[in-house]
Amino acid sequence: METLTALAHGFAVALTPYNLLWAAIGVTVGTAVGVLPGIGPALTVALLLPVTYHLEPTSAFIMFAGIYYGAMYGGSTTSILLNAPGESGSIVTAIDGHAMARQGRGAQALATAAIGSFVAGTIATAALTFVAPLMVKLALLFGPAEYFALMVLALTTVTAVLGDSLARGLGSLFLGLALGLVGIDMQTGQARLAFGIPELLDGIDIVVVAVGLFAVGETLYVASRYRFETEEIYALKGSKWLGRADWARSWKPWLRGTLLGFPIGALPAGGSEIPTFLSYLVEKRLAKKPEEFGHGAIEAVAGPEAANNASAAGVLAPLLSLGLPTSATAAILLAAFQQYGLQPGPSLFDSNPELVWGMIASLYVGNVLLLLLNLPLVGMWVKLLVIPRPWLYAGILVFSTLGAYTLNNNVVDLVILWVIGLAGFGMRVLNVPVAPCVVGLILGPLAEQQFRRALAISQGDPSVFLTHPISAALLVIAVLLVLGPMLLRRRQRAAGDTAQPHTAV
Amino acid sequence: MTTGRSLRVGEALFGGGLLALGLLIAIQTMLTPTAGRAVVGPALFPYLIAGGLVLVGLSLLREAFAGTVAHAGGFELDGRAMGLVAAALVVQFLLIEFLGWVPTAALLFMMVARAFGGRGLVMNAVIGLALAGLTFVAFNYALDLNLPAGSVMDLFEQAEDAAK
Repeated sequence: METLTALAHGFAVALTPYNLLWAAIGVTVGTAVGVLPGIGPALTVALLLPVTYHLEPTSAFIMFAGIYYGAMYGGSTTSILLNAPGESGSIVTAIDGHAMARQGRGAQALATAAIGSFVAGTIATAALTFVAPLMVKLALLFGPAEYFALMVLALTTVTAVLGDSLARGLGSLFLGLALGLVGIDMQTGQARLAFGIPELLDGIDIVVVAVGLFAVGETLYVASRYRFETEEIYALKGSKWLGRADWARSWKPWLRGTLLGFPIGALPAGGSEIPTFLSYLVEKRLAKKPEEFGHGAIEAVAGPEAANNASAAGVLAPLLSLGLPTSATAAILLAAFQQYGLQPGPSLFDSNPELVWGMIASLYVGNVLLLLLNLPLVGMWVKLLVIPRPWLYAGILVFSTLGAYTLNNNVVDLVILWVIGLAGFGMRVLNVPVAPCVVGLILGPLAEQQFRRALAISQGDPSVFLTHPISAALLVIAVLLVLGPMLLRRRQRAAGDTAQPHTAV
Repeated sequence: MTTGRSLRVGEALFGGGLLALGLLIAIQTMLTPTAGRAVVGPALFPYLIAGGLVLVGLSLLREAFAGTVAHAGGFELDGRAMGLVAAALVVQFLLIEFLGWVPTAALLFMMVARAFGGRGLVMNAVIGLALAGLTFVAFNYALDLNLPAGSVMDLFEQAEDAAK
């Protein structure tokens, strides 16, 4: 009941014409940028940060909520029509979605993705409404030791889940942690690894790192591969609506995808890769014609796409109630909060209920707006896909440097952007996942803070992490997540089994 | 042209780089005198992370020479296009304070477009200038952010003042 009252207040905030306007701008810009090839949700949010600098926090976050959901919708268009998934959550969508596009059923793939995203987004947002306050209650039981253990768990899962080599994922993670060390230590005021450069005292901005890895690194990579790859775009033709058979085949995958996506997304071990893969496997098992999978089965678009959007809402639960980002996009949202001097967590629900609930309410609003934007107007977004590549990537770099420069108005950020971009290029070539680096950069300093607080409370006794049951359990899970796959792999090798495990990017 | 072998070199570079970064952090932390009297000082985490970097770096080096690498079947990269994009960014950060946002952003646009095989030089210049100009106006006047006008403008103004 308390929650519903809070949500009603949230709607009162979100439905004022002024905030409604920002929500509408957010979803439109989010879709438009998200639809561009090479730009995933994380980069969309990072690139659009400067646009919100002059807004007051509530409106800014209402706009972010719109951008976040909009980028998710836009991303599915790119994967279906171009087979270029902008983030790991839409890799699965691309398989059958693109196959459908090749058969001239691109419009149906887009429609089932859009309606599925709406259904999943709405249900998952409702779940978020009720889960977030519960998580806040749970968070109140947490001391620094538990927070530290939780962050270690989040860092390990982001790393262990992604990529086919644990060492590469860990390399990316530690690179992010190392970048996070730069700057003034929050507790003692001591400068670390600033090498006498005053601009480094404030630390390396996560936006610069995210834009460097996702935009500059990606552009360098695409430039180097451009001559060797051809893309195929398939025009939308025929009926743009879902036929009765398509509806019948879609609605169950939508609901099952939601059921998988939200809980997994809401776990501190979240992310969208696992639920989308799971959804694909589940649908394949349940399908009447599993042989169609991989060749344009609509279930394989409906389920994973719903799972992807539901997990996007799920990720917001630990972000808002614990301050814990479990995806690269959430890491950038957290940076956005920090830019306004806000720290997500239980206290944010107390001190800024208007902002938190306004943002949650605007997620419902955004979903409706997105359905309206995406179903009738899909043809307009598809036009964005045919922007000539030279102009598209040149434009991406212009906006990237603009975003990096306007952060602090100094050239040093542009130099860092360049260095990180080159590193991102190398990582892309070597198949090193970049999300651990982004999450490590923002979580590293927070984890350190909690670690030192915990030890200050225990007066230097390091056993506190193991004597607190919650913290001990979380750490054990983290260790198992790293060791489990290693042992499995070793056993597989020993057994001479040639079956390859799933490899995600 | 990049083969599996040079990808191994790349992976070795990545591992070696992380190893070097770990050592750099450890040495730098050793050289910094510790301030404050907290139970856990500001040096502990740098040491932990440096240790992690060294271990991961070593394991990547091992993988580079003995394990599997990405794209084992060989992989082609167009070094010139990639170099042109990287150079475009360098030109921009070297010149942005002096020339200002509009010319450097337009130049960046043209160089990147060229790297992607865009041939219409005039058309690219027009679009680049339009984009740079629009963002300059939008961000400086509507959004109150400061994109640099360029110190070269100050020189012009000084020259004008001197002429008067």
